Amino acid sequence: MTPEAIVRVKGLVKDFRPGLGRRKTRVLHGIDFEVREGEIFGFIGPNGAGKTTTLKVLMGLIHATAGEAEVLGHPVRDTAYRAHIGYAPESPYFYDFLTGREILDFYARLTAVPNASRAARVAEVLEQVGLTHAADTRLRTYSKGMLQRVGIAQAVVHDPSVVFLDEPMSGLDPVGRKEIRDLIVALNQAGKTIMMNTHILSDVEMICDRVAIIVEGRIAYQGAIDGFDEAGDKIFDVTLASLAPDFVEEAATRFGAEPTGRGDRVTFSVAEKHVGELVESALRRGGQVLEVLGRRADLETLFLSAVNDRPESDTRTEEGAA
Amino acid sequence: MTGLRLIQTIALNTVRDAVRSRVLYVLLFFSLVMIASSVTLAAFSYVERERIIQDIALSSIRFFGAAIAIFVGVGLIHREVERRTIYTILSKPVSRAQFLVGKYVGLVATLWMQLAIMAVGYFVICHFNGAQLDHRDAIAVGLIAVELSVVVAFATLFSSFATPFLAASYSIGLYMVGHLTRDLRSMGENSESELIGTLTLWLERLLPDLSAFNRVMEAIHDLPIPPVEAGAALLHGIGWTVAFLSIAAWTFERRDFR
Amino acid sequence: MTKLLFRAAIAMGFVGAIAIGQWNLSNQPLFGAEEGSRAPDPEVTKIAATGFDTIVSTWYWMKAVQFVGGEKSPTGLGDRVGDLIDVVTTLDPYVGHPYRFAAVWMKDDEQTVRHANRILRRGIEHHPDDWRNSFFLAFNHFFYLGENEVAADVLEPAMDMSNPPTYLPPLIARLRNQGGSLDAAAAFLNQVIEATPEGELRDAYIDSLLEIEAERRARFLDEARAEFVERHRRDIERVEELVEVSPPVLRELPPEPNGEGWELDDMNRIVSSHYRFRYEIKIDGTNRRLIDAFRARSEARRQLEMEEEGTSDDA
Repeated sequence: MTPEAIVRVKGLVKDFRPGLGRRKTRVLHGIDFEVREGEIFGFIGPNGAGKTTTLKVLMGLIHATAGEAEVLGHPVRDTAYRAHIGYAPESPYFYDFLTGREILDFYARLTAVPNASRAARVAEVLEQVGLTHAADTRLRTYSKGMLQRVGIAQAVVHDPSVVFLDEPMSGLDPVGRKEIRDLIVALNQAGKTIMMNTHILSDVEMICDRVAIIVEGRIAYQGAIDGFDEAGDKIFDVTLASLAPDFVEEAATRFGAEPTGRGDRVTFSVAEKHVGELVESALRRGGQVLEVLGRRADLETLFLSAVNDRPESDTRTEEGAA
Repeated sequence: MTGLRLIQTIALNTVRDAVRSRVLYVLLFFSLVMIASSVTLAAFSYVERERIIQDIALSSIRFFGAAIAIFVGVGLIHREVERRTIYTILSKPVSRAQFLVGKYVGLVATLWMQLAIMAVGYFVICHFNGAQLDHRDAIAVGLIAVELSVVVAFATLFSSFATPFLAASYSIGLYMVGHLTRDLRSMGENSESELIGTLTLWLERLLPDLSAFNRVMEAIHDLPIPPVEAGAALLHGIGWTVAFLSIAAWTFERRDFR
Repeated sequence: MTKLLFRAAIAMGFVGAIAIGQWNLSNQPLFGAEEGSRAPDPEVTKIAATGFDTIVSTWYWMKAVQFVGGEKSPTGLGDRVGDLIDVVTTLDPYVGHPYRFAAVWMKDDEQTVRHANRILRRGIEHHPDDWRNSFFLAFNHFFYLGENEVAADVLEPAMDMSNPPTYLPPLIARLRNQGGSLDAAAAFLNQVIEATPEGELRDAYIDSLLEIEAERRARFLDEARAEFVERHRRDIERVEELVEVSPPVLRELPPEPNGEGWELDDMNRIVSSHYRFRYEIKIDGTNRRLIDAFRARSEARRQLEMEEEGTSDDA
């Protein structure tokens, strides 16, 4: 295990048996990935791909059928190391007869936050997630966004070094999502390694350092977000106007780019090496260049292609064996 | 943090949760109503009214104690899984066994509080109706406490893998059979069929003998309770509690929380 | 699920509340004396009670009390009481009074009395220090079944129990030596009357006691008559002669227990003008009407059972 690998999953297989006598279904087909120290790792995939199952295996809530899963160098069956990890499940639910402060105190006790500093630590975390105003009201009255924040608060109340978040932004409005996003970044900046499950790509693009894409229980891609650029040609959107009618067709054939657009404006998505040529010929033919925009990392394209080209079994990703 | 403190934290939280349960208050209320109404009911007999008051009150305590134990006990683990509150708790440095034992201890503590309230009601009723109270009544109530801890243990066991409805059915079944092992055994001994004899013998060996905790007859008729028997019943209770919880922890440990 | 359980608990509560309300408010006996309702099999009930033996026993005990209280003219009462008390004492053999209750109410015929005796023997087994069950068992053997030796055998161990009444030893002696005497019968009856609640049966026992008293006084008059014959060499023509002659054999006649007088019957015996009969030397019962009816019923039942047996054999 490389020293900086915080989470290491190797050949993880999970079968579920729906009931006695019924056929078991394989949910995870031997997946491999790693989460490295200090990064925000996005574990992405469509619904039902196995994201939550994988996370639950890491939390010891589900037992793997085969393969290895280690967190901080401990097999996930151990319990003691969990003092150093935090976990916020999707749409978390808590004892709703307790107040925000009481529930965090409860979790702080479970994670052995020292008695002397517990109250201060709980207050600090409440402040951090912006729940100070509601600290002494019962969770029953909390909104979904507030519960989401309690979920994150209980995951970090014991100051863990790794935090696992399952769909931390699901069901929130844009403001709420931004707040959670900022919170995640802040936690990361405070030195915590973060692994988050999500299917909201824009969030991933904004904050994740690396991602793994899981589709139907197999890892389809794993690597840095910036790595997408290297993975293929960098794509630019070139928007032109006042073009001769034959030019559009000619350019489309020449650069292999489907033109899109309305009325006078046409946008071509072309590889970086073709940008100059396209702009030059357009100008030459009396056209106008309105915009040339480089796509930083087209996660969506990658994601959709991963989902559409279903990976074969035993897909080894470029980073998987590192 | 030691395991005991973890268990204590979970147990305390369980008590806080359980004392909010309306089922518990409804059953407690009716148990107290039954205890109080024993005086009225006893008036239907022109003799031995004290004995009848004691009988109705103690039997009510046993009945409602077991009902609370089963109805609250069967939801104990299942509700945590259903509401997914268990996810965050088990992601903390808490083993499943510790969680289970913590929940168990919490519920038993709640039940013992209920039992204490019912026992006070019983003692008050007896005192004001001239029914004689002595160490036998205390032993009878004490053994009800032991019995409840066994009942909660098997309700917890069933709750660790079955839905509340099924777990309640299993628990009620085991409670009833547990009270019959002695009767069935003596029936089996008198039976001509060797198969029935063997069957009832193994039934007695393999199941808890809950009638060991039932000293109502001795309490109401002022019959002697040999200390050896009371002690044996206590050990029997502890043994079965540990056994049921061990099996519960074992099955619970293997479960997937999907 | 929780909701369902909650509702179940509420429902249970309501049922309980309504039952209690009925119990308290209704003037009707809670346990109807419905015709033909027999108590269930005791052994089956014991299994069904699943550990709640004592309260189920109490339930059937109350049923028995209500049943007897609700019956105006008890037909087959003894059998039903017997069935109920069988359940009561099988589920909780340590109950006290129900054994005597069975003894008091199970008098219909020989069969019910023998059933009562089985119940009483269970009582003796579980209350080895309580002489009362033995006493009632002995009384049944003596009074209804005419088995004086058995009565004496039953009563003998009762002398070693705690606080036996002082009349036990002479009672046993009389049962053994004289094969029953008026004193034994009177001693028995006095106790039984004390234990029997007010009603027809108690009146019958009181009547029996008066009858015995009448016989005892008649025998006293017989002795006075013998004295008269010795002194005057002739028999009396009227009972009053015993006081009228001088010197009088008796200063006054003992009062007839029912407030009537004494007379000579057709067979020239001194009899109470109330009863107009005398007991044989050996007591064969103490209340002629009671015992005659008892024997008639026992005989009728025997006949009926023989007939039934015959029919079932034919079938």
